[in-house]
Amino acid sequence: MAPKKLRRARLSQELCERLSRYQITTCQDFLCLSLLDLMKVTGQSYRNVQKLLCKVSLACAPKMQTAYEMKVRRAVNPSSAFLSTSLHGLDKVLHGGVPCGSLTEITSPPGCGKTQFCIMMSVLATLPVSMGGLDGAVIYIDTESAFSAERLVEIAGNRFPAYFDSDEKLFSMTRSIYLYRELTCGSVLKRIKSLEEEIISKKVKLIIIDSVASVVRKEFDTKLQGNLTERSNFLARGASLLKYLAEEFSIPVILTNQITTWLSNGLAIQADLVSPADDLCLSEGASGGGKRESGSVTAALGNTWSHSVNTRLILQYHDLPTRQILVAKSPVAPFSAFFYTVEKSGFVLQDGKDQTNLTWEGTNPALQNIKP
Amino acid sequence: MQRDVGSLPLAPALRARLVAAGFQTAQELLDTGPCGLSKEIGISKEEALEALQVVRQECHSDATQTAGAPGTSRKCTALELLEQEQAQGFIITFCSALDNILGGGVQLTKITEICGEPGVGKTQLCMQLAVDVQIPECFGGLAGEAVFIDTEGSFMVDRVVDVATACVQHCQLIAEAHQEEDHLKALETFSLESILSHIYYFRCRDYIELLAQVYLLPDFLSEHSKVRLVVIDGIAFPFRHDFEDLSLRTRLLNGLAQQLIIIANDHKAAVVLTNQMTTRIGQSQSTLVPALAAAVPAKEAAIPAGGHCPNLHAG
Repeated sequence: MAPKKLRRARLSQELCERLSRYQITTCQDFLCLSLLDLMKVTGQSYRNVQKLLCKVSLACAPKMQTAYEMKVRRAVNPSSAFLSTSLHGLDKVLHGGVPCGSLTEITSPPGCGKTQFCIMMSVLATLPVSMGGLDGAVIYIDTESAFSAERLVEIAGNRFPAYFDSDEKLFSMTRSIYLYRELTCGSVLKRIKSLEEEIISKKVKLIIIDSVASVVRKEFDTKLQGNLTERSNFLARGASLLKYLAEEFSIPVILTNQITTWLSNGLAIQADLVSPADDLCLSEGASGGGKRESGSVTAALGNTWSHSVNTRLILQYHDLPTRQILVAKSPVAPFSAFFYTVEKSGFVLQDGKDQTNLTWEGTNPALQNIKP
Repeated sequence: MQRDVGSLPLAPALRARLVAAGFQTAQELLDTGPCGLSKEIGISKEEALEALQVVRQECHSDATQTAGAPGTSRKCTALELLEQEQAQGFIITFCSALDNILGGGVQLTKITEICGEPGVGKTQLCMQLAVDVQIPECFGGLAGEAVFIDTEGSFMVDRVVDVATACVQHCQLIAEAHQEEDHLKALETFSLESILSHIYYFRCRDYIELLAQVYLLPDFLSEHSKVRLVVIDGIAFPFRHDFEDLSLRTRLLNGLAQQLIIIANDHKAAVVLTNQMTTRIGQSQSTLVPALAAAVPAKEAAIPAGGHCPNLHAG
């Protein structure tokens, strides 16, 4: 994804040499100049400069597709558009499951089952296509050291006892899950950059990062000046790299997030905070005295991150042992909620209990109140 | 004809030489002719001829502008403007409250900016508009096509299929209720496949691709003259990271905005941009504001939390 050199944009050799004298070697430098600057630098007339701009733009611009072509491509390969979560109600609402080619975020208070969900999805991705999987490898980037191989085998054995009937099959499944332990933001970013080659060589069909929030919040204390922009930069760069990988290879990417406190009326500085200052998602004009009691919790990492993910699922406690999974943000699904419990075989939806709990009343997913 | 030599769109080096040689107006250049020019300045006859052709073209287009030819004329009375604006179509959004506030729908030849918090429905609205612009004229639409430039990757074909199917059904119900000839004829061509085939989708991964695509857009729109809507979903996203030089960012955004205004006017299209919201931390409180505010002069519709009735900020 490095900027394209001008030579590859089919400009003439002498023009490229002349431009390199002004330190303009990539398409990026060329397109960032104004027309008058370009005239000065290339020594050509206005009309010629416009033609050159078109030439360079043609080299950089994306290819056009009509929505119809996209639909036809999807129809030819329907199973490759979603990764089924094996939770029937959830799959139906999401039009198939976790979408391929975009980022999905799982957010919840501690202990609700994010890592369990991720482990369950890893098993599902390795299953053959006939059983609803993607028949591929999984890259699992673990920043909290919460991954447990024993739990992985337990879920596989209990959820699909007919398929995993021999040790041989269990081992081949575990062999296709590649675990990376990264403990700093820098190493996470480096790992993401190196993923492109690994995806091709290992035939990876799912990327999981558990969790983004823990490593970011460890390193960036937003009370310190300058950390806020660095944090946003890191998150934005990570998000765009992951989006590129997801789209290029048409695979799902699952990320987990933590929660933070939402104070209404925004007395950010005075309150005694659970989490760093800018994690707060603040509402405008909400009434309330700004007391701790009237605050509630919501997804961490701020607004910009909420914009970057395409689908957001929220897990929260209901009454033990039942918990709730909410579809808070999705381009295809309305806002809906399901009840589940975590058992030996992973997540199990509670059938019949408020399954038709679909509301078309949206609430702001960035400010979705989560029961801690 | 009396145009100053320094203002002609020639190569800067050539221009400097002409001024140094003492030429002042374009008429002087034309009178001298290519051979005389090449001798005085010391350039080849071919270069002189090329320069004179540029000068002649410039003077010609100046002349047609002052003569008031309809295509290039840019001056008219306010009454004419009023009539033009009222006669223009709107792209309806199928939400009557929103249409009322916008004065009938999304206006052509104008830029509309939609900002809102994550998940509130900006992309959904854009997908809806891309379908609505294609409604045939007898049903109150514009029978146009749509260009969708996506920078965030949230365009889902399945969702557009849902929206388009619902729109076709809606039109079918109207046709059944009214039973008119042209309604039924229009419905023959207004189908799911035709709607999807007329949404031109571009996925721009970073700001360079976005800039390149906007440079190429006028040519694309000249080839596809039925396009009446250009949507850029996520104009903020590519510019919000990896930009140390904020003044460059401002300049690029302003340049983009100007190009979009020209596109909107020349091709009679509506331009819709979506913007993100960011937290502005003040002294005693923080507020949510649109990111990259004031970079683009546009009609803004801000959708606050809860998706209630939007406020309209005059641009």
